[in-house]
Amino acid sequence: MTTADLFLWFFAGLIPLAAMAFWLARGRAMAIETGDVRLHSRPGFYGWFSVIWLALPAIAVSFAFSVLHMFGLFTVPGPMLLAATFAAGGAGLWFSLGQIKAEFRARQAVEKVMRGLLLTAATISILTTIGIVLSVIFESIRFFKVIPIWDFITGTQWQPDTAFLIGAGRADEHVAPPLFGSVPIFAGTFMITLIAMLVAVPVGLFSAIYMSEYASHKARGRLKPMLEILAGIPTVVYGFFAAITVSPMIVEIAHSFGYEAAYTNALAPGLIMGIMIIPFMSSLSDDVIRAVPESLRDGALALGTTKAETIRHIVLPAAFPGIVSAFLLAVSRAIGETMIVVMAAGLRPNLTMNPLEGMTTVTVKIVEALTGDQEFDSAFTLSAFALGLVLLIATLILNIISTIVVRKFRQRYE
Amino acid sequence: MKKIILATAALLMVSNVAEARDQIKIVGSSTVYPFSSYTAEALGATSKFKTPVVESTGSGGGLKLFCASNDMDSPDITNASRRMKEKEFATCQKNGVKYITEMVVGYDGIAIAQSKTTAAIDLTRKELLLAVAAKVPNKDESALIDNPYHYWDEINAKLPHRKITIYGPPTSSGTRDAFEDMILKHNTKHWKVYNDAGFKKFHEIRQDGVYVPSGENDNLIVQKLAKDTEALGIFGYSYLAENTDSIGAATIEGVGPAPETVQDGSYKLSRSLYFYIKQSHVGKVPGIMEYSDLFMSERMIGDKGECAEIGLIPLPAADRDHYRANLKAMTRLTADDLKPKK
Amino acid sequence: MNKEANNFLHQGANPRKRKRERADTRFRWYGLIALGLALSFLVFFFVDIIGQALPAFKQTEVLVSVNYTEEAKSNYNRAVEHKLTHIVSRAWLRTIPAYLEAHPEAVGTSHDEWVPADSRVDQYVKKHEGHGLKSKYQKEVDALQQEGKVRSSFNIAFFETGDSKMPENAGILAAAVGSVFTLLITMLVAVPIGVMTAIYLEEFATDNRFTRLIEVNINNLAAIPSILYGLLGLAIFISFMGVPRSSALAGGLTLALMTLPLIIIATRAALRAVPESIREAAYGLGASSLQTVWHHVLPLAMPGILTGSIIGLAQAMGETAPLIIVGMMAYIPEPPSSILEATTVLPAQVYTWSTESMHGYIERTAAGILVLLTVLLSLNAMAVRLRNRSEKTW
Repeated sequence: MTTADLFLWFFAGLIPLAAMAFWLARGRAMAIETGDVRLHSRPGFYGWFSVIWLALPAIAVSFAFSVLHMFGLFTVPGPMLLAATFAAGGAGLWFSLGQIKAEFRARQAVEKVMRGLLLTAATISILTTIGIVLSVIFESIRFFKVIPIWDFITGTQWQPDTAFLIGAGRADEHVAPPLFGSVPIFAGTFMITLIAMLVAVPVGLFSAIYMSEYASHKARGRLKPMLEILAGIPTVVYGFFAAITVSPMIVEIAHSFGYEAAYTNALAPGLIMGIMIIPFMSSLSDDVIRAVPESLRDGALALGTTKAETIRHIVLPAAFPGIVSAFLLAVSRAIGETMIVVMAAGLRPNLTMNPLEGMTTVTVKIVEALTGDQEFDSAFTLSAFALGLVLLIATLILNIISTIVVRKFRQRYE
Repeated sequence: MKKIILATAALLMVSNVAEARDQIKIVGSSTVYPFSSYTAEALGATSKFKTPVVESTGSGGGLKLFCASNDMDSPDITNASRRMKEKEFATCQKNGVKYITEMVVGYDGIAIAQSKTTAAIDLTRKELLLAVAAKVPNKDESALIDNPYHYWDEINAKLPHRKITIYGPPTSSGTRDAFEDMILKHNTKHWKVYNDAGFKKFHEIRQDGVYVPSGENDNLIVQKLAKDTEALGIFGYSYLAENTDSIGAATIEGVGPAPETVQDGSYKLSRSLYFYIKQSHVGKVPGIMEYSDLFMSERMIGDKGECAEIGLIPLPAADRDHYRANLKAMTRLTADDLKPKK
Repeated sequence: MNKEANNFLHQGANPRKRKRERADTRFRWYGLIALGLALSFLVFFFVDIIGQALPAFKQTEVLVSVNYTEEAKSNYNRAVEHKLTHIVSRAWLRTIPAYLEAHPEAVGTSHDEWVPADSRVDQYVKKHEGHGLKSKYQKEVDALQQEGKVRSSFNIAFFETGDSKMPENAGILAAAVGSVFTLLITMLVAVPIGVMTAIYLEEFATDNRFTRLIEVNINNLAAIPSILYGLLGLAIFISFMGVPRSSALAGGLTLALMTLPLIIIATRAALRAVPESIREAAYGLGASSLQTVWHHVLPLAMPGILTGSIIGLAQAMGETAPLIIVGMMAYIPEPPSSILEATTVLPAQVYTWSTESMHGYIERTAAGILVLLTVLLSLNAMAVRLRNRSEKTW
């Protein structure tokens, strides 16, 4: 019996059973409700009560078995698992049917379970965070056992070649310790993010100003979705575009000005990433600009300032914290972007200020380390998790700062 | 809505029960991947078996997955652009993957390619070494210095005055591994100045921008070479074979990459390509033998086979017969086989 | 401010005032230029992609005489003239033995048929640089063209097949089915959990430390780079829970966790937009808090929730990076028949093709992108329309 079959049987069994339980319990409840006897809750609640009593034990049993199986403690054949599951469900159903009496508070019971379910759902987001932290932290610790954390953060040489050899089982040949200085990688990330921001901030901010302050309501309704198309384009598409169209274009343009540009230059992915981030920047700024109270504008205009002056001296300073927070979120978006840089940026860690040279980023190195030809346990692969950890911490810090800034902003005007 | 929730919860739970597959799973080297997936497609198109799934995880990553367990979830076959290492074999044994059959499908030549519009350059392996190594001997070979060369004629006056730019595979790639082996280590092993400086074998590639790691996206290297007419590119022979209209090969010690020169050993930059079969899965996952038979057949890896058309360099006929016999007998790979020959 | 106020008092043909007005116009133009830049990029981008993609929808065919001989059963190359074996598509050629197996009556016959051409021939006929066709075959194709034995027809195979190592046979069917499977899982997991979380936070949670923790946490999750979700999927779902690598289940669950914060945030906004008076009216009639939410608040918030979910799912559909980590970038030519089978998705297929070396794949990549964009943009347009239609001011 395959897993897929098990699923099928599980659902094919559980869903009709649940429906049956619902009708059975509701029917029984309705039968109680005669002339002078009043049910405590609506009959439907009795139905749901039974469904819960059917499903929860069934799921609990199958969950218990799969946990046991997962840890390799105990495995039962599929049919037996199904039988046990349905037996538990049946017992639950039988018990719940016995509970149905006029004075039984079915609604309270059902709502209690529902609240529990809602709370469980809410905790899943916490579990996700814990999961992400756990999935990078263990491997990172293993990495930092080999490479001192200080060398990783401050080193300017990224030469994992020897780690690759050790990983490939040829430690005997290694001559120099591998160097995992991540500064050039961060520098590349920084450079590409900087280029992206140089595109996204002016274009995004001015678009937002125009849409919120100048454009008519109708024009705004048209322009905004068009800008948002930019956010809806998948990053793999941007990557293809950057690598096939933009990068050769930049090389040619640079050449005509007498400059040498690499095909993996940082400019192409930077520009394209900036364009991708425009709608992000513009819609967040648009929101905060519109949140600036109209009274401030009216006051300024009444004093005779022009519209531009009002915006520059009154609206923008008022919206500044919000714009900063939008900026920080956009930065965290840019440093975490993967596909554009994987397809269009270089692989060589390069400490340079020249955007026409090839550079690499944190995300590129993560993908490279996890899809390459090396052994899984090598320090080279583990470096992916260490870089992931850095990425995680960086985005978290940016996000926390931006949350605090935006809260200050809200407090000022709400 | 609650039913949907129940359904998803249940989905999470029962998913980890081991199951039988009807689709072969292949992982491993990105160099073997084109041939492996080509054969997989041919199997799917011409037989009743499902088309095997081929994932390019790299040789090391493939062997890691292959050796991780004997479960039905683990891959049935792994491709490799190098031989399995003794350590990997031991991991396999430890995890219950006891019976493995080794196959060699052919050779991969590492091509030093360049734009077709430029006159083909002829290099020796030593010149290549001097162009790419991080440290090279100084003039009187008394000490190692940081690589100063930026033009080929600085290395050897007979070479053209041409800027040294080399697009090559990144650290994570098997082609890089092979290139380091064949160019750097091979040449520095018995070179006194390196040995004196404390390197048994030297393998570090320069990082000053002359050697440009360019990813497994070899398509991009091809485009770069077509435009950057002075540059050289390092990649698998199959990519050269695909793009003979825009790029040509540099010759190494007077010999260009071609099936004949690889087979007779006169072209020095070549290596064997392997795949490994997990015997315990044969018979449980349908089609493993059929896939292997097809891959080893004349139609695929013969001199005029379909894999040869997409860049595989065939084995000599006798070797092909030898491995076919091994496949038929399901010869078991032993640790002794993997010991380096003295 | 003082000076400006002064200016206000002395209106008239004042050079400073004109300067200020010019500055005002300039400022307005900055905004227009910014918008113009963004929109002209959009136009350039679409023109470029469509221009690259369109040729992929045409496939060259050649008229050949096919000999269904006994010999062709074992060696399909014998079914056509020897010189044509590199002109016609091998993907078609190798189906002949199976065809003869199924139609024994055809053995011994011979027909003139239009059959798909090899990708190199196709590229050569389309006059693309880098077609890769050897010059001896070029002459052959030129001769065939002279005789009118070459035509171009709609590339139906692109929509009917999966990935292939021969560009002329490569299509998006398997990836499209895989995308549907994966998204279904994402939807089934992310939407209910997301909506439930939002309901909890908006309608039930009291303002305590735990609630604030969840809130901060959700905002953080929304900002975490997608590739880290890939690491999570690899570690938790594949390594720990044993979900098969490359399966729609593994990919869908990973994407679900990634989409969850978006759906939660959108749903919370939609719930918040429902006026308090509705809730109070329901309570006033004796409804419990759960009944209030279920019967009154949720239906009113539904358009907003749907909009948020659609946008979240559209984003998941275009996502690639985490799926590379969970093994979906592989040669997977057949559509999956279950959520546990190896499968690929559209963006992963696009990425795989973009790394192939044969020229025929470039236009396939662009065509795949075009299909992907069409689906995503229609989803987004749907969401926008839904949002505009339901935008109510209470």
